[in-house]
Amino acid sequence: MSANMILKVENLVKYYGSGENLVRAVDHTNLEIERGKFTAIVGRSGSGKSTLLHLIGGLDRPDEGKVWIEEQDIFSLKDDQLAEFRRKKIGFIFQDYNLIPSLNVWENIVLPLGLDNRKADRKEVLFLLEKIGMSDKKNAMPNVLSGGQKQRTAIARALAARPAIILADEPTGNLDSQTELEVVSLMKSCVKDFGQTLVMITHDETIAQMADRIVEIEDGKIFKAQGGGRSSKAVIE
Amino acid sequence: MKMTTRVAFENMKYHRSKNILIGIAVALTTFLLFVIPAVGNGMIQTQYAATNRVYPTWHALFRNVDERTAEKLAAHYDVAEHGLRCDLGMMKLEHTEVSMINMDESGAKLYKVSLLNGHFPEKEDEIVVSKGILDALGQTGEIGDTITVPYQVYRDGALDYMQERPFKICGFLEDNDSNRELDKYMSLISMDLIEREIPADQIAYRFLFQIRDLNVKTTDGVEAVIKNLAVQFGIRENNMNINEDYLSANYVDPSFIPAIGFVMLIVVIAGIITIYSIYYVSMNQRIQELGRLGAIGATRRQMKQIVLREGLCVAVIAVPVGLLLGTFVSRFVLLGLFRYANVEHNSEYLEVLRDVITNGEVCLCLPWIYALAAAISLGTVYVSLAKPMRLAAKLSQTEAIRFREAAKRRKSARKGYHDLTIGRLTGRNLSDNKKKSAVTIFSMAATGMLLMIVATIVSCANPRESADNSILGQYAVAPVIEEGNREHPEREWSSIQKNNPMTEQLRKEIEQLDGVERVDVSSSVMVKDGMFGEDFQMIGGIPEEYAGELEEGIREGKATYEELKAGDKIIIDRTLRHWYPELEVGKKLTLSVCDGDETYEKEFEIAAIGEYSHALMQYRYILTAKEAADRLCKTDCTEFFHIYANQDYDPALEQSLKELIAPTGTLQMGTWKSEYEEWKSVMVVMSIGCYAFLGILAVISVMNLVNTMINSVYTRKKELGMMQAIGMSDRQLLRMLQMEGLFYTLGTLLLSVGLGSLIGYPIYVYARTQGLFQIRNYHYPFAAAIIVSVALIVIQLVLALVIARSVRRDPIIERIRFSE
Repeated sequence: MSANMILKVENLVKYYGSGENLVRAVDHTNLEIERGKFTAIVGRSGSGKSTLLHLIGGLDRPDEGKVWIEEQDIFSLKDDQLAEFRRKKIGFIFQDYNLIPSLNVWENIVLPLGLDNRKADRKEVLFLLEKIGMSDKKNAMPNVLSGGQKQRTAIARALAARPAIILADEPTGNLDSQTELEVVSLMKSCVKDFGQTLVMITHDETIAQMADRIVEIEDGKIFKAQGGGRSSKAVIE
Repeated sequence: MKMTTRVAFENMKYHRSKNILIGIAVALTTFLLFVIPAVGNGMIQTQYAATNRVYPTWHALFRNVDERTAEKLAAHYDVAEHGLRCDLGMMKLEHTEVSMINMDESGAKLYKVSLLNGHFPEKEDEIVVSKGILDALGQTGEIGDTITVPYQVYRDGALDYMQERPFKICGFLEDNDSNRELDKYMSLISMDLIEREIPADQIAYRFLFQIRDLNVKTTDGVEAVIKNLAVQFGIRENNMNINEDYLSANYVDPSFIPAIGFVMLIVVIAGIITIYSIYYVSMNQRIQELGRLGAIGATRRQMKQIVLREGLCVAVIAVPVGLLLGTFVSRFVLLGLFRYANVEHNSEYLEVLRDVITNGEVCLCLPWIYALAAAISLGTVYVSLAKPMRLAAKLSQTEAIRFREAAKRRKSARKGYHDLTIGRLTGRNLSDNKKKSAVTIFSMAATGMLLMIVATIVSCANPRESADNSILGQYAVAPVIEEGNREHPEREWSSIQKNNPMTEQLRKEIEQLDGVERVDVSSSVMVKDGMFGEDFQMIGGIPEEYAGELEEGIREGKATYEELKAGDKIIIDRTLRHWYPELEVGKKLTLSVCDGDETYEKEFEIAAIGEYSHALMQYRYILTAKEAADRLCKTDCTEFFHIYANQDYDPALEQSLKELIAPTGTLQMGTWKSEYEEWKSVMVVMSIGCYAFLGILAVISVMNLVNTMINSVYTRKKELGMMQAIGMSDRQLLRMLQMEGLFYTLGTLLLSVGLGSLIGYPIYVYARTQGLFQIRNYHYPFAAAIIVSVALIVIQLVLALVIARSVRRDPIIERIRFSE
């Protein structure tokens, strides 16, 4: 893994079911992602892109293959070590926001820090809130926020722990097109400002076009990878 | 199968684990609801049946009735059946007491006396005896044979000198176990003999009767009729004996129904709270389910049917299980209770009790008990199911689908924590579910509280302490005192005083024995007064070692031990005041003090009225300082040696003491050990019963905790998965669940142990004033408090572990995708 690569996926396999019902969600996939870049993973519904993202994030364990993040083979870690690794190195953004309903905006943002036994840097969180345009909503509960506001909160939460990589699973899937663009722009600018790496799943071509690189998936395999005029590192099988 | 039933059935299978939990709670509640009235009722019915077999059937007897009064009484409207008994005296035997009495035929019937063979005595020299009596006399004989009987006749209110005469056996009575065990028998003689032996003006009958039973249904009612009769014929209370055992066996005791009712009520409340709260914590889910059903076109009626049928399906399985379990267990419980309760009754009565149960003479499992238990359980389930149905009916389908109980009151904004910790996260969740948490805590605490209250009583009713309250020290030596037996004039207190075997020499010898620490001496002075009638009272001279106890026991008035030493003041125990309410603090009493053969009058002032343990009083209801009591007599009025030993029980010491007092022939000894054993067996029954009952209640409420915690995790499965996705480790998850459980546990403990202890105290005070189990001191039930606390904490920690493990079974991603 070269120094510039933050993520490496090697021969990753995840099947569900058996016999006739066998689903090859991720089928011998290889992928490398460069530090500080915005990668979009596209594919049709059921193509296995979400499973791939979840495996990359260590939310599930593969049947075969390896995932390295910053030189760490994440599946060699025990569950608790993996959880710790996740909260330090990976930020997640989900389609349905997944904010904790009993916590207000501020608390949702500082939650990963709390889990890591770290104190929140007040200035930094305020800066984040300003960045996502929700300085006046820091005490608001999730149930009174709009979809866009919820997703912006989720973005701030993903950024708060300063992870190495941010994984976003169709973050704009539930948003109207106006908000969608706002949110993606925000994510892009955050990644740029904080020098982070973003891997985002989307089925929206417009959004994908905003990425530095696009990886297309079909039937659990990487079908095509393109972007920035550079040659793809993805192996096409 | 109808669609609604089908859906309900499938739902039941789908929510299998929760329904099993509910099923267990319902089955246990039903079980208790069945066992309590079945055993309660069975216990009473068994005793009634046994009593009817054993006890005489007269309602009351009047003693010392002359012939004319007996005739008048017999003619009275309120008297239905009646009979006469007249006592001649006692046979003079070494160890056996044989009373010689005459009964007319109806008297014999009311006494349940029937002859094995032969006939009732008619002629002066005829007698009815039993094998046991013949053995005691050391003679043999059949009907028609002559035996020689030494006997003493009651004359002038006492047993006269022994005489001897031949009797012809005319019949036999059967001996029972209690005759043999107690060495007490009864022989029958003719009225002719009594008329010959006792002057006509001294012949006194016992008039036994049953009242005419018209509208009287309760024991209180029967007693009122009897007392009214006594007043009309000028019969004093001490000459009246009401056959309470028989009455309570045949008439309803008005205090019994509320007692059983109260226990049932506790079970019903605990059952309702538990079943209701089990359903309540999964309310959100249920309402959402109803919403979905509504959305796809189910009518309100159909929705109601589905929910009801699912619940009732569970109940229909659980209720019979509870009833079946109860049917099996109640007979064992009853037999067990009577097995341990062997001190209260003699063995013959116990034998009859067992016989009644094993013969199935008393039906424990009555249809009304089944119906009652089933109805209450089903009713509880229905009430618990009705709530989500009512709520769902108020909402539109979309509202129902999105329904979150807590969401209604969730604030739009809240000042939060700057930093988050696992503890704060837990706090947030709990405060968001205040009502749910409160319902769980309250229902668990209700059982815990009951447990603590019962534990308070059980811990106060400590057999050790009851024994301590029955006897001072480990052994008590005292002379055998018997007044009015001419054959044993040496047993009269006046003779004992003149030649008291309780000498200083004996005391010293006892003190020398191995294991004896000290010997306290207390004395007694016999006093008489018109007020007490023919009865006498003893003044107890309490040694200075107990000055503190004497002063502390005072409830009214004031007296110090020093003041009592002067000899003019006395303390009266409440028991005596109960019988003679005119005894008040400050009242002056002139009592005849008996000092050997002499009697003189002395005035005493009642300085105080107190409440004392039996150990201190020993039936002496008037107390003063030993020094003062001793000064009242020139003779030696030492009555008790209270022996304190270094061990509660030492067979060697007991043997030495027996050997030491045996030569006197007039001393007897009581031991702490025998008192202790007696109290212990009484309390074993009580505590086993109470704790078994509470144990089952506790299991029911633990179901509740299990359900609440499972639900709390189940409904937050996604949220928890979310937290794990962003980095909550398994260990942190476990810690969070444990803290949550700990909150319930601490809340429950605070309420149950705290409130339970507070309420336990007034209950103890009640038990003390009622003289229950000789309870005199308050003991905080530490053991119960610790056991309840430890058990709850352990259960909750294990529960959190199990739940956390089951959560971890699914990969995080499954949990995040999961929607309720």
